[in-house]
Amino acid sequence: MSTPSSSRSSAEERPNSPTGSAGSAGSAGSDRPARSGGRGEPVAHLVLNGILALLFAGLFLRAGELPSSMWEPLGSGSFPRLILAILVLINLAIMLKEARRLRTLQPGEPGMVVQWLRRHRLAFGVLVLLGAYILCLPWLGFALASLCFLLAGQWLLGARTARGLGIALIIALCFSFGIDLLFREVFVISLPRGLLG
Amino acid sequence: MMDALLAGMDQLFTISTMATMLLGVVAGVIASAIPGFTITMAIVLTLPLTFAMPPLQGVATMLAVYVGGYSGGLISAALLGIPGTPSSVATTFDAFPMARAGQPGRALALGIWASFFGALISAIVLMVAAPPLALVAVKLGAWEYFSLIIFAMTVVASLVGKSMLKGLLSGLLGLFIATVGSDPMMGVPRFTFDSDLLANGFPFLVVLIGIFAVSQLMSEVEDADDVASGRPMMPKEVSFRPMDGMRETLSYPVNLIRSSFVGVFIGAVPGAGGSIANLLAYDQARRASKHPETFGTGTPEGVIASESGNSATSGGGLIPMIALGIPGSAVDAVLMASLMVHGIGVGPRLILDHGDLVYGMFMAMLVAAAMVLVVCLFSMRLFLRVTAIPRSIIVPVVLVCCVIGAFALNNRITDIYLLLGVGAFGYLLSKLDYPLAPLVLGVILGPIAESNLRRALMSDDNWMLFLTRPISLALLVLAAVSILLAIRHHRRHRTPQTV
Repeated sequence: MSTPSSSRSSAEERPNSPTGSAGSAGSAGSDRPARSGGRGEPVAHLVLNGILALLFAGLFLRAGELPSSMWEPLGSGSFPRLILAILVLINLAIMLKEARRLRTLQPGEPGMVVQWLRRHRLAFGVLVLLGAYILCLPWLGFALASLCFLLAGQWLLGARTARGLGIALIIALCFSFGIDLLFREVFVISLPRGLLG
Repeated sequence: MMDALLAGMDQLFTISTMATMLLGVVAGVIASAIPGFTITMAIVLTLPLTFAMPPLQGVATMLAVYVGGYSGGLISAALLGIPGTPSSVATTFDAFPMARAGQPGRALALGIWASFFGALISAIVLMVAAPPLALVAVKLGAWEYFSLIIFAMTVVASLVGKSMLKGLLSGLLGLFIATVGSDPMMGVPRFTFDSDLLANGFPFLVVLIGIFAVSQLMSEVEDADDVASGRPMMPKEVSFRPMDGMRETLSYPVNLIRSSFVGVFIGAVPGAGGSIANLLAYDQARRASKHPETFGTGTPEGVIASESGNSATSGGGLIPMIALGIPGSAVDAVLMASLMVHGIGVGPRLILDHGDLVYGMFMAMLVAAAMVLVVCLFSMRLFLRVTAIPRSIIVPVVLVCCVIGAFALNNRITDIYLLLGVGAFGYLLSKLDYPLAPLVLGVILGPIAESNLRRALMSDDNWMLFLTRPISLALLVLAAVSILLAIRHHRRHRTPQTV
């Protein structure tokens, strides 16, 4: 089916990642190569859906403890329980489907996981930086934390020359102290001040 | 009516009103082009600035931001594949592949013209048919609302992604995420585990930014070798031919008119709005198309359907607000608040007591649509420069904007922690081919679905009413049909691949 996706990644245009799971939903008619290469993707589906099914089952039980009301037939817990029950069923259905698919696939070449991780190192690097930025933001304040994040992020993604680093510094100043000033003075929204407060 | 229209025009066509509207249009386009900034946010930020203005000027300026915002969402949807607002989710389906295939200028020109015609058609429909359409909308009870949301969810789940199961999982996950936090009826905390982080639930804007922006930006840099090559996100040379865009847009008149009417109608249903309209208009266009298989690959029909559909909701959304005092969306609620600040009661008597204001608003919609067109056509070359900026700059900068967007919504630090979690989870889901649009829609529609279900059963605990009330039944039948069609479609397309 040629289906669209809201989150199509640019991976469509590149050779696929070794696990064959590159790109997000919907490749919209593109012929993705190596889709069946390796068992990584079905295993990932099984693990994800297994964890989610356990989580949802636990939450389903917990939702039963939510108070009911004398004013209405459905209490606070009924709607979430309905959703959680259907979710568990869908998790199980996906697991069944993926387990069947797993049996038809051959194991991938050795070293594929390492190769895949290596190829995705920048994405994970940016995610780690974003995590550090967000966790440090209340302490450092918006302006300082953003300045560090923007400099580190641009350096990580390729701004290594003197000119590149100069541009990176200007951009980092504009989008950290500049935005902070704009929000404080024009929109009257105070971003966290942190150390500068 | 004519007196009111003329009086409204007299107040509207002043230099100061035109100037603030123009500023509003520019602000709306820019705000919604930045992922993480929604139209709602732009309107909220505009509201305090309009307090000092006369009522019509204030509301016209906010309408300008509103109409500009619907068009601006197109820019990031087409160029970056990130919907600037939920209303441009379907725009990413075709405008982004078209831009990726080396035609960003064509994608933008088509989107701008489709937006203009969508807004134009909706403003005309609003002026001609506001009272009768409002009467249809008022007949919808809690049963119909709930069924409408079921219908919308099934359409979305079957529309996106390659697997119906994954689409449903994603949509239901969204509905579940919406239940975290306070119960909408009784205020009981649910699934918060006594933590500050979850005490306020997952605000939909945070989910939207995390799911679409953060996970999309991760995808942009996931191929280390490609990033190292320093290739910009788009080709540097972009040819932008507005007149060709107009001709191409007008060469699909049926699609344009149908999508606009879908937008007007969905906009008129309180609680629905642009976030559903663009997907429904897209779905309708795909079903009616002679080449449905081209949808999702960068077909002009898809861009036109989504953009005219979402722009048309701006006019549709005003119908229940003006006729009934029920805001159709969060944006309409802010518009309503701006009128109330000036001491104008919004409700059935609005059109009788302040006819000049209402007709002035109708005219402001038309003027704003024209202004958006002019602003976009003249400034598009500037926007296209975005395409030449390397990823090493755009990714960190947009991530900072995402963090600001998530924080400034409620001034809560916990919201940015949620953003990180949602972004990482969204990236994981997208890597495993789970469509993300149903999840976001589920989060928006979850509280509306639950409140209406519970309200319906409070007034009568007979579940059969969902099947015996004709409009509710029709919507549920449509939902079932959409699931069956999707299953059949998936099976038919899967068979040849397995041979």
